[in-house]
Amino acid sequence: MMLWILIAVLTAGAALAVLIPLRRPVEHASDRRADQAVYKEQLAAIDAELKRGLIDAEAAEAARTETARRLLAAAEAEKETTAVSSSRYRVRAAQLLAICFTPVAALGLYMVLGSPDLPDQPLAGRLNAPMENQSVDVLVAQVERHLADNPEDGQGWAVIAPVYMSMGQPLRSAQAYANALRLLGPNAEWFTELGEALTVANEGMITSDARSAFEQAVELDSAPVKPRFFLALALSQEGKAEAAAEAWTSLLDGADERAAWVPVARAELAKLRGEAPPSETGPAVEQPAGPTAEDVAAAGEMMPDEREVMIRSMVSGLAARIDQNGGSEAEWSQLIRSYMVLGDQGKAEATLKSAEEALANNPDALSGVRNTASKLGLTGS
Amino acid sequence: MVIEFGHFALVLAFILTLVQSVVPIWGALTGDTRLMATASPVAQAQFILVLVSFIVLTGAYLNSDFSVVNVWENSHSAKPLLYKFTGVWGNHEGSMLLWVLILVFFSALVGLFGGNLPADLRATTLSVQSWVTAGFVLFILATSNPFNRIPNPPIEGNDLNPILQDIGLAIHPPLLYVGYVGFSIVFSFAVAALILGRTDAAWARWVRPWTLLAWCFLTLGIAMGSYWAYYELGWGGWWFWDPVENASFMPWLAGTALLHSAIVMEKREALKVWTVLLAISTFSLSLLGAFLVRSGVLTSVHAFATDPARGVFILVLLCIFIGGSLALYAWRAPMLKQGGLFAPISREGGLVLNNLFLTAATAAVLVGTLYPLVLDALTGEKISVGEPFFNLTFGPLMVPLLMAVPFGPVLSWKRGDLLAATQRLYVALGLALLVVLFTFWLWGMERVLAPLGIGLAVWVMAGAVSEIVTRVKFFEIGLKRGFSRLAGLPGSAWGTAVAHFGVGVTVLGIVTATAFEYERIETMRAGDTVTVSDYQVTFDGAAPRRGPNYTEDVGHFTIRKGGVTVAELDPSKRFYTARQMPTTEAGIYTTGFSQVYLSLGESRGDGAMDVRVYFKPLITLIWIGCVIMAIGAVLSMADRRLRVGAPKPAAKRRRTSAVPAE
Repeated sequence: MMLWILIAVLTAGAALAVLIPLRRPVEHASDRRADQAVYKEQLAAIDAELKRGLIDAEAAEAARTETARRLLAAAEAEKETTAVSSSRYRVRAAQLLAICFTPVAALGLYMVLGSPDLPDQPLAGRLNAPMENQSVDVLVAQVERHLADNPEDGQGWAVIAPVYMSMGQPLRSAQAYANALRLLGPNAEWFTELGEALTVANEGMITSDARSAFEQAVELDSAPVKPRFFLALALSQEGKAEAAAEAWTSLLDGADERAAWVPVARAELAKLRGEAPPSETGPAVEQPAGPTAEDVAAAGEMMPDEREVMIRSMVSGLAARIDQNGGSEAEWSQLIRSYMVLGDQGKAEATLKSAEEALANNPDALSGVRNTASKLGLTGS
Repeated sequence: MVIEFGHFALVLAFILTLVQSVVPIWGALTGDTRLMATASPVAQAQFILVLVSFIVLTGAYLNSDFSVVNVWENSHSAKPLLYKFTGVWGNHEGSMLLWVLILVFFSALVGLFGGNLPADLRATTLSVQSWVTAGFVLFILATSNPFNRIPNPPIEGNDLNPILQDIGLAIHPPLLYVGYVGFSIVFSFAVAALILGRTDAAWARWVRPWTLLAWCFLTLGIAMGSYWAYYELGWGGWWFWDPVENASFMPWLAGTALLHSAIVMEKREALKVWTVLLAISTFSLSLLGAFLVRSGVLTSVHAFATDPARGVFILVLLCIFIGGSLALYAWRAPMLKQGGLFAPISREGGLVLNNLFLTAATAAVLVGTLYPLVLDALTGEKISVGEPFFNLTFGPLMVPLLMAVPFGPVLSWKRGDLLAATQRLYVALGLALLVVLFTFWLWGMERVLAPLGIGLAVWVMAGAVSEIVTRVKFFEIGLKRGFSRLAGLPGSAWGTAVAHFGVGVTVLGIVTATAFEYERIETMRAGDTVTVSDYQVTFDGAAPRRGPNYTEDVGHFTIRKGGVTVAELDPSKRFYTARQMPTTEAGIYTTGFSQVYLSLGESRGDGAMDVRVYFKPLITLIWIGCVIMAIGAVLSMADRRLRVGAPKPAAKRRRTSAVPAE
């Protein structure tokens, strides 16, 4: 609305610039008087030059004659020009141009060219907008900015790493996990994710870097299936059939038959033993939680708003999960960390408060969450 | 909302230029004073509207509003504030808006300060200027709208072409634009004069300050651009005969010719037809330059994102303006009365000589610039016309012109006495010969041309000084009266002398920097030293460094003279991350008027680097001379007589000068 008021004011101003001078009749000043002034000045200059001795009397006289002739001609021309008063019809036409043509043409052309509905979007405003209204790019940009200023913030790297993965940038994700590990010390889960990111980046090939990451993860915590699954896959890829078969067997030993990775493992095992693959083998499912190479490739091709959905699920999914099952210490800590890195301290504090309520009867977990919060500079109640 | 407001302001400005194109000139042709009276307020309204849209666009750059396509394409949030600002005109769309801003700025100036002009001439001139403006605003709106939007803007921009991220860029294009867009108003005056049949001595007087203003800015703009290329491109040269440089140089040459021929028209009513033609050609050459740079015909450091549609559009504009004005000229020029006669040896004769050489030089540059393009278009053969061509064509034309420069102002009008004029210049001639002999003695006979060139420069400078001295007659009337006469000299006399002196200074810089330059290109390791002239340049090593939107390798050098450290320089090679482009930043040590110039080349690994080291004697004089020329133009503009207008009843003379000279 404001825009249209301003446009109206501007248009009125432009029309007035034409209308006001048309309104009052101008005192008819002869155009030729301007010429005469120039020639009179030239005559004066000739006299001055003569006085300074820059020209001799003869030259001065010649010049004076010449200039005087121009002066006379100008005076003659003045007499000839008869004063023409303004004609009513011309003035009306000009007024019509100002009142009708100007606003109509300007508005019409603007409606074709302009985008009156689009608001200004200065970058600072976009970055400071509430998180719910942020697009994925803004969120990532915020974290990136934060990390550019504080490259030693391991928490930040840990938050952005899975986001890069879901945005189809496994190399960046791997880099971010590596940074988080370097800054915050070994962590089995991050080693696993680092290995997976490297594997996805190499289109499924498990490189030596990836393998060493999985190995470190297993060393820290041998319980999770995921790193062992990849290590077994690595052995298969290297052609170490016997060792691979052994790894798969031990992996399947006592596995929950309903787990999504089990058919893949069985198929690999069957392949290694030269048997026909088990009949229930569906499309390759690597791991329930981690995206497959195809998933990641698909994420890369997603439209921005689809990716936005993906990143929202990162934070809001976490929040929803906590809502449902009360949340573990790790989940609460992660959520607080995410809000802090995204620069939303209010949300982080609120989350801390909720955590304190939710975990009231679990003092160990609560102290863990408080510990994380205080490291981030938050003070709980 | 603000951005859309700016967009609307531009659209409205376009509509006003359409109104302005019709109403005032209609008034002038019918003698209707009320219609003519709209010219000046509407010109000012146009200026305000375009200014608003320009400020809005600038605001979008400063706020990194990437919802504007133009900002997203050419800016980056991490860019230093200054370059966010200069980035506004560091791209095609923004620079066109600046172009239009200057067009309407000149309209507004004529509206404000054209009080001494006859109403019909002013009204017609402003209408013609509006035709030009309308053409360019239409061009912007149709093909290069800087206010196009993105509904879902990306979070980061593409950054400004790094080569343009430099303080030189902040100043030189606006100066250049004021220069060659400024000639548009002279063009409009010429077309108006043809339409009204009013080409007389008074017209020349009225046009003079506008020509001077445009010429002054063009001179500064070219000098600034040359200095920018000198230190940013890292080649150590200050003029490359690059087609884009030529595009600004041709209007300068034609404009210089115009300044001189207009004097003849003003004093003697001669050369009228010629002067009007020059006024038309000068701006036509500016338009040609704009076409060459923006159509994609040329590739150069200056070439902005190019687009054939834009090229065709500008070509059509070019044809309409140049073709139309020349057709009008062909129709009206024969009706002009010829003015006073004069002998070949006279002030007029000198100015005609000046015009002959300047226009021939313009033609030489034009041929050198267009020939390769035409050849490429017709036969597909690619040739490059460079320095040798211009040295052979442009150079020989300048030598006789420069030899003649000191004679011009001392010759009298109508019928001059060459002998008497030479007598006035004895001192200057003697001085020049002395300098030539001294340089030969100093450098021996191995460089024949250089001492002669230096002598020529001294001749021009000394000639300018002696012109003032003889005018004042110091030797005849004594120092005290001499000084009071000096103060009383009219601005135009000072302007002439100062500008001619500046030409001499520039020539001196060109000759010494070209003939006596030292150049070494070495692969240096930390600790290596090369010697140029009297300076020992030691490479202390290179280190990486991070800038806001680039990374760079900075070399550290110590410059010693006779073992004493005189300067430490840090030339660098930058790499701009957003555009993945490298640039060089030269290290320059200025001593007196001379410079030691360092530029980094390729890194050879293991700490070794290619380094170009130059010693350029008196090189800064090239640009200082240009500044002096511009000062000359300002002095000339300050001449009280340029403001002579129709007598106003309230006009009072503030102070009658003690001894009015001339």
